[in-house]
Amino acid sequence: MSMMHAAQVGAAPSTAHLMRWVIVATLPGIAAMTFYFGLGVISNVLLAGLFALGAEALIVALRQRPVRPALRDSSALLTGVLLGASLPPASPWWLIAVGVMAAVVVAKQLYGGLGHNPFNPAMVGYALLLVSLPTYMTLWSPPQALTAESLFNQTLWAQIIGSLPPATLDALSGATPLDAFKHKGEAVLASEFWASQPLPEGTLSAWRNVAFAWLIGGLVLIAKRIISWHIPIAMLGSMMLLATLFYASDPSHFASPLFHLLTGATLFGAFFIATDPVSAATSQRGKLIYGAGIGALVMIIRTFGGYPDAVAFAVLLMNLCVPLLDIYTVPRPSGHANTATHSAPKEPL
Amino acid sequence: MPAFEFPGGIYPPERKARSNQSKLQVAALPAQVTLPLKQHAGNAATPCVAMGDSVKVGSLIAQRDGMISAPLHASVSGTVTQISNTAITIESDGLDNWQRLPPLDWRAASPATLLERLDSSGLTGLGGAGFPTYIKAQVAEHHAIDTLVVNAAECEPYITADDLTLRSYPADVLEGAQLIARLCGVQTIVIGIEDNKPEAISALEHALPQAQHPAAIVLKVIETRYPSGGERQLIKKVLNRDVPSGGLPADVGTLCHNPGTLLAALHAVRDGKPLVERIVTLTGEAVSTPGNYWVRLGTSVASLLDGVGLMPGQLHQVIVGGPMMGTPLATLDTPVTKTTNCLIAATLAELPPAPIESPCIRCSACESVCPAQLLPQQLHWYARAENDSTLETLNLFDCIECGACSFVCPSFIPLVKDYRLAKQRIRMKQIETAKSDHAKHRFEFRQARLAREDAEKQARRQARLAQTQKPSTSTAGDHATPEVDLRSLRIAQTAAKAAVKKAEKVLARAAEQDPKQRFDDLETQLATAQENLKAAEARLASARENAIQKDTP
Ligand code: SF4
Ligand code: SF4
Repeated sequence: MSMMHAAQVGAAPSTAHLMRWVIVATLPGIAAMTFYFGLGVISNVLLAGLFALGAEALIVALRQRPVRPALRDSSALLTGVLLGASLPPASPWWLIAVGVMAAVVVAKQLYGGLGHNPFNPAMVGYALLLVSLPTYMTLWSPPQALTAESLFNQTLWAQIIGSLPPATLDALSGATPLDAFKHKGEAVLASEFWASQPLPEGTLSAWRNVAFAWLIGGLVLIAKRIISWHIPIAMLGSMMLLATLFYASDPSHFASPLFHLLTGATLFGAFFIATDPVSAATSQRGKLIYGAGIGALVMIIRTFGGYPDAVAFAVLLMNLCVPLLDIYTVPRPSGHANTATHSAPKEPL
Repeated sequence: MPAFEFPGGIYPPERKARSNQSKLQVAALPAQVTLPLKQHAGNAATPCVAMGDSVKVGSLIAQRDGMISAPLHASVSGTVTQISNTAITIESDGLDNWQRLPPLDWRAASPATLLERLDSSGLTGLGGAGFPTYIKAQVAEHHAIDTLVVNAAECEPYITADDLTLRSYPADVLEGAQLIARLCGVQTIVIGIEDNKPEAISALEHALPQAQHPAAIVLKVIETRYPSGGERQLIKKVLNRDVPSGGLPADVGTLCHNPGTLLAALHAVRDGKPLVERIVTLTGEAVSTPGNYWVRLGTSVASLLDGVGLMPGQLHQVIVGGPMMGTPLATLDTPVTKTTNCLIAATLAELPPAPIESPCIRCSACESVCPAQLLPQQLHWYARAENDSTLETLNLFDCIECGACSFVCPSFIPLVKDYRLAKQRIRMKQIETAKSDHAKHRFEFRQARLAREDAEKQARRQARLAQTQKPSTSTAGDHATPEVDLRSLRIAQTAAKAAVKKAEKVLARAAEQDPKQRFDDLETQLATAQENLKAAEARLASARENAIQKDTP
């Protein structure tokens, strides 16, 4: 067997290294979200990360596999961080726990652990919470600048602990831009909708800046060659194409491409969720189709479906297509004629 | 120099400077050599000396057995002290007496003479699989070969044997190439060499002008990227030809040889020197005087490394071949063979074992570096699942085992090991299913042998009869229609000849495509065809005899 490994010559990072780099790249996005939506974002990420490590350790032990290597590869931590970053700020601890359990235990380990999960674990957790606890999952507080008061007020802790009654929660919540636009009503024209100032002051710019922060992290990942450009570019490209088509056909009822690009989980999803190598397509052609499929589904669900944002469902739906994509995008090996015969004619010379 | 791209590839650290700084040297004459009978693809050679025989350097000590095989010659002068099933041991007398074959002028000698010389010199490819050189030249007989590619890429880290060969004998290598070119009717010789060997390149450039005859020689300097020395990759790179899957370079009019083989071919023909020594790179952090050495075949690795200052305390492992595709040695008590191009005595820090494997995360890093454009991660998955039919549809056998995928895998999965195991398993299965065929073919062979013996006996009797009965056979009625008989026998003989040729071709092709396979069955079929031919010849001869008798009463 071959003797030389890239590890010892620093040419390629290890799996654990890759995972940690993705976690590092989430920091700008998490920081921006914390800045606009408060410390609850950090509590989400920390709690989810901790729960994920705990859940992983527990189930790996139950499966009688070595626990330390499983924790060391940081994949569980990454799943926790990504899930935590997608939840509304200061989600109650039990909600996070349920999501993490679904992600780590069901979506990942029950399928055989790292590398064997057909679905993106973080998005499985997110989707489960979204369909089973919709009230909690839409509780996005309006953006506010960080103040000492907002840092440590009672509500935050009550919320983290999960002791706030839903009525109070309702009072706290502000709609996300996508949500607001989605529910503007058929009769309302887009221009009238925006004119009515439907969102609290600064909401749009907050979402836009958060989106840019995710973009920075994503570009770092591409620059470090931790992810390839294929999936994000294909996903954003197909989204923008569809959004432009819709917008051009009826600007008074459809949101602009830029709106779709800069709000919701678009950039976060494109760089951090859709690119999860385990559940994505593998060949380059497959990745392009996979990414484009996610982009198209996001636009279709956002425009015609029941959910304002749709990255989780789009990713999960495309995860379903991966086995097929992997079969039909097998590159033709060198030396195989166009006719794709698997072996050259074997007749004697 | 314009070059064409093969897909994938990696840039491992080269580590060639350790062995390419000093001039080519000659290793000390070993006190004893152990020459394995199987140093090549195909069957092991059969010993033709006895214990206690005294031999000279170049004495034939084992003959080739079957078509894909190579004879073996003593590499020191002295006494044969041991003959086992696998090897012959010779104690050196320290005199280094040589016994050479008569020199040949390759420009004047007939191709048949040249082929015979390559065969009897025990020449095999000195690069990888050890494919007998004369068969490669024969494969060329059945194909229109227009280009000889000299594979001087030497892309594996550490190895500098070809580099030093070219620096030390540029003119001889080129002449060897011309020799093969003439033998195979090649019009163009293309030398593919990586740009990390400037001295070899300039040595070649100096020698080129005198060497452009009979074939024109083109020097192509290519970018240094592993594995550009893979036959298919190099042919793609310098000629932009795609060798078909499961095919041979000959299928695209190409023949590939490495510089060492060409040099040895010239030595065998021009100097009558059988293959008894070769250039080996001795390197690694655990030896103090690394470099390239002329080494007698059969020298033990231990004594060889001792000679270049092995520091046993530092030694972690010794690898034969390069660090990408080579194999670690279980014991240093191993002889140098015709295919040993490099010995790396590595320290632990130099080539540490792979970190513990973690699960595949489908990152497709492996896929992006695979020069054969396979899907290494899928192959890995199905290899572990032992799903052999899917492995074959995923073209497992197109994998050249270059190790590029293992090199980049962030999960440290020993991918190539998986593939080798899977290939072995599939081959074993094929052998299992081929066994009944083989039994049938062995039976046919026995029948053919009996028939041949019968025919020969008949012929002898006929001859005797002819001797004794010459005067009185004019009226014998038992051969009423000799003309018809003769014609059909001639046809039978021609058909038998064609069958032998065909069996040879099939065997040569199979062996060159996959030198690691076993060819018992094909060798048997060839032997059967040969028996049939002999029988046909005997019958024809006796019928002729008969006919002559009838005509000249
Ligand atoms: S490089 Fe390793 S981890 Fe990545 S896809 Fe290939 S086998 Fe899997
Ligand atoms: S070892 Fe085989 S599968 Fe791996 S890169 Fe080389 S050719 Fe491709």
